[in-house]
Amino acid sequence: MKSHNKHWSAFDIASMGLMLAIVEVCKHALDFLPNIELVSFLFIVFTLHFGWRILILTWAFSLVECLYFGFGPWTITYFYVWPILIIAVMLLKRFGGEHPLFYATLSGCFGLSFGFLCSLYTLVIGGVGMQITWWISGIPYDLVHCIGNFTICLVLFYPVNQALKRLKF
Amino acid sequence: MKKNTKGIIIGVVAMVVVAILLVAVWLTFGPKASAGTKAYEVTVTDNNGEVTTYEGKTDAEYLKELMDELVEEEDFTYEGSESDYGLFIESINGLKADYDTDGAYWSIYVNGEYGQYGADSQPVADGDKFGFVYEIAQ
Repeated sequence: MKSHNKHWSAFDIASMGLMLAIVEVCKHALDFLPNIELVSFLFIVFTLHFGWRILILTWAFSLVECLYFGFGPWTITYFYVWPILIIAVMLLKRFGGEHPLFYATLSGCFGLSFGFLCSLYTLVIGGVGMQITWWISGIPYDLVHCIGNFTICLVLFYPVNQALKRLKF
Repeated sequence: MKKNTKGIIIGVVAMVVVAILLVAVWLTFGPKASAGTKAYEVTVTDNNGEVTTYEGKTDAEYLKELMDELVEEEDFTYEGSESDYGLFIESINGLKADYDTDGAYWSIYVNGEYGQYGADSQPVADGDKFGFVYEIAQ
């Protein structure tokens, strides 16, 4: 979003709704492929255009996911994992400009660390031992996540970023 | 821009290095497929006295379960029928024992002793040696 107005316009709210719908549809369209997802990519590219407001989008997304899959101890992970990606994009975007490889790498690293980040909630339940065991057993999924995120972002970043730039906010 | 590209390449390399390290961590500390806890040795002695040996570890409680595992994992095969006394072994590794024709049968030995049970009620203990021997009734 080019405008950095602190107040939300009707257009901003409508845009958030549309982005949430896009993220949800893309998430569930690829549900049959474990850890191959478009959500990381979409959050990255949306953050580049809409800034910190995407934090709210991640929480809205997490809430819908909870309504869909139900609430459990793992629910808490949704609410902190995606914001970490948004914060990383906001802090690092000045180094990457609009380089697809930069964001592909960022997305890949996020995929690689996804299991570790998600495992943090097990620290509270079962301590360090449980957290490390949980994380290590999921490493193959993190590797798939990394490769998937990297490839998807590398391929889609340029066209989607260009399309978003054409939208005049 | 050139500096940026160099930094990005370093980032990609770092990501690949971390991924390789994670593979190493998983291979070293990751969950291992259960290999079973009880050591066994199964020998099959055919009509020519030739012996085929199978060794490994199993969690099978009874010999029949171990035989089924061997069918899945080795070149071991067997056929049998359910009788009033449990599993009656008719053939092993394709060699059929026909008692009605020549008095041939498959006997089970457990740790060198003639087995007291059928395959489906013979317990498997750690270190057990089972023998299937093609024998002719005298």
